[in-house]
Amino acid sequence: MLSVKGLRAKVGEKEILKGLDLEIGRGEIHAIMGPNGSGKSTLAHVLSGRDGYTVTAGSVTFDGQDLLALAPEERAHLGLFLAFQYPVELPGVNNTYFLKAALNAIRAARGQPELDAVAFMRLMKERLKVLHLDDSLLKRPVNFGFSGGEKKRNEIFQMAMLEPKLAILDETDSGLDIDALRIVADGVNALRNPERSVILVTHYQRLLDYIQPDYVHVLARGQIIRSGGKSLALELEEKGYGWLGIEEAA
Amino acid sequence: MSAVSGFEQWLAPAEAAASGLQWLATRRGEARARVQGQGVPGTKQEAWRYTSLTRLLEQGFSAVAESVPLQPEAIEHLLIPGLEAWRVVLVNGRFAPELSALAGLPAGVRIGSLAEILRTDPDAVKDRLNTIAGPDQPLFSALNTAGLDDGLVVLMDAGTALARPVELIHLSVGSETPRVAQPRHLVVLAAGTQAHLIERYVTLTYALYCTNSVLEVTLGAGAVLEHQRIQLESPDAFHLAALYVRLGAASRYRCTNIAVGASWARTDLTVRFSGEHAACDLQGLYLVGERQLLDVHLDVDHCVPRCVSREYFKGILYGKGRAVFDGCVHVARDAQQTDAAMTNRNLILCEGAEVDTKPQLEIEADDVKCSHGTTVGQLDPEQLFYLRSRGIGAALARRMLCLGFAGEILDALTPEALRMQVTQEVGRRLEQAT
Ligand SMILES: Nc1ncnc2c1ncn2[C@@H]1O[C@H](COP(=O)(O)OP(=O)(O)OP(=O)(O)O)[C@@H](O)[C@H]1O
Ligand SMILES: [Mg+2]
Repeated sequence: MLSVKGLRAKVGEKEILKGLDLEIGRGEIHAIMGPNGSGKSTLAHVLSGRDGYTVTAGSVTFDGQDLLALAPEERAHLGLFLAFQYPVELPGVNNTYFLKAALNAIRAARGQPELDAVAFMRLMKERLKVLHLDDSLLKRPVNFGFSGGEKKRNEIFQMAMLEPKLAILDETDSGLDIDALRIVADGVNALRNPERSVILVTHYQRLLDYIQPDYVHVLARGQIIRSGGKSLALELEEKGYGWLGIEEAA
Repeated sequence: MSAVSGFEQWLAPAEAAASGLQWLATRRGEARARVQGQGVPGTKQEAWRYTSLTRLLEQGFSAVAESVPLQPEAIEHLLIPGLEAWRVVLVNGRFAPELSALAGLPAGVRIGSLAEILRTDPDAVKDRLNTIAGPDQPLFSALNTAGLDDGLVVLMDAGTALARPVELIHLSVGSETPRVAQPRHLVVLAAGTQAHLIERYVTLTYALYCTNSVLEVTLGAGAVLEHQRIQLESPDAFHLAALYVRLGAASRYRCTNIAVGASWARTDLTVRFSGEHAACDLQGLYLVGERQLLDVHLDVDHCVPRCVSREYFKGILYGKGRAVFDGCVHVARDAQQTDAAMTNRNLILCEGAEVDTKPQLEIEADDVKCSHGTTVGQLDPEQLFYLRSRGIGAALARRMLCLGFAGEILDALTPEALRMQVTQEVGRRLEQAT
């Protein structure tokens, strides 16, 4: 469903992605690991259409469409979702209102009718329960004053509400306590189905105990330098990145 | 050439409204002399530095009084759903009893038309009218005083209470010759009383007209006034508002000022503390777009010790909109332990828009806590991207962020139906901006 070929991208004059290839099939879970600064978040941002990156070569297709030609919202309409490494605070924008606007924008783009208030509330309550989130968070501005862990869980909550076809989770496990990690993993697993794919960007093998990946990739120096199964993550955990011929970031 | 060339027409109805009250004639006459004694302020004058009067003068407004009979159905759509209020409706500055709702006021409370009270019981307002605004009125207040005849009056005796808000609807209806309405409002709350005043300036149709309003407020010891002023004039209109507020000991005054309409608008808010331990909270939101100019002046005078004031104004500018924020907090030598904080935040949505912001503190006392801050910024691209990554289109995303910015002020509006109505109107205007 996602096909990245020879992707090169720059920030300003600095090239960060240097010919990256990645194929994600329907229903698959891929973990991407790699040293700090290797370009993992950059890849996530380029895929979701954030400003400030220049793609100089390569292609990205998503369900057969040229993803790079689309605006960020159009990518979301197609079913792409990014759980941010650093979720953005939106003071004054109510969480419920925000989610409703997002869900209805996606539905409208797909030619589906808007959810009415009752149906929306029901869906929200149901998804909140899965993530053990307090519904007081819904009355607050998006991420504003949320703790680090609450922000991460709110990302997964949004994912659960928007039901994307491809979710990119950029270090969603960082900063979560052990219970929260399990809750987030449960949230992701609850969403698993043969139609839905996930990219997990993580530094820790522990997350992969909870969410079993089909593939593990190592991203370093702007390229995927190694791919394998779950055992690759265990190997990285044990040996670090040195044995792959790259230094770990300081 | 007369120094007030252009404004004679604003003075016209003074004689027409002859009341037979000597004291009133004297006050009007003094104001008239004041108008004639001062020239049209130019941009060299500090208070008008950023705002030229040329455009206002060019319109040739005149103060022709004409009654516009309206059926209650005509204003139904302007009412706030579910709001039960003591309502005074002015049409083009004149009391419209058939549109107002004043039956069954509690004893000791007067709410009604200034013209009517001047006719029936002038002594009730004699000691208050024009005394808060004082003798040194600037041009537009003096113009209002010179022709002073109608407006809202709220008088609450000690020991009285109001179960509902007081709502003033100032409705403007266009006419063939562009006219100026100069309503004059007076609110006097005796010691210990509480009230909620909602002032709304609205129009039935797009029209060219001018409103030059003056409001005088006196709060007795411990009195509390929640005041909301919503300016939704026609996009072509000119709007001038002068508010003079005198705060007694331990009184509380909160003013939420929403300015959305008019092509040219000027607000002067003058607050003076006259007793200790009083607090005032002045906040506002202005939305200024294509062809709009808006000028807010605050003048807060801490002349006694131990009072608290907050001044917090936010603005959203777009198109070729232009705004001025000029706030001054003065702390007199004796006003020790004053606590004052003034903030002005602006969001500029496009390059052509502009704001001049000038918060100032003048502090003569040495034991005070005072601060001021100002920001002028744009929408945050990170926030925009976050919203868009969730499927929300760019225009709506911008609007959501603007409403989020404005919400901090809009959330103060009560009842909820008013907050929603004003928020929707702000959202509607932002559709043109984003
Ligand atoms: N806006 C920017 N301007 C300059 N350099 C940038 C910018 N954004 C990213 N970079 C650089 O690009 C490189 C890759 O950053 P990226 O955030 O993609 O790394 P990462 O693999 O996600 O790292 P981490 O594991 O620490 O999250 C880093 O060296 C970073 O400093
Ligand atoms: Mg990263």
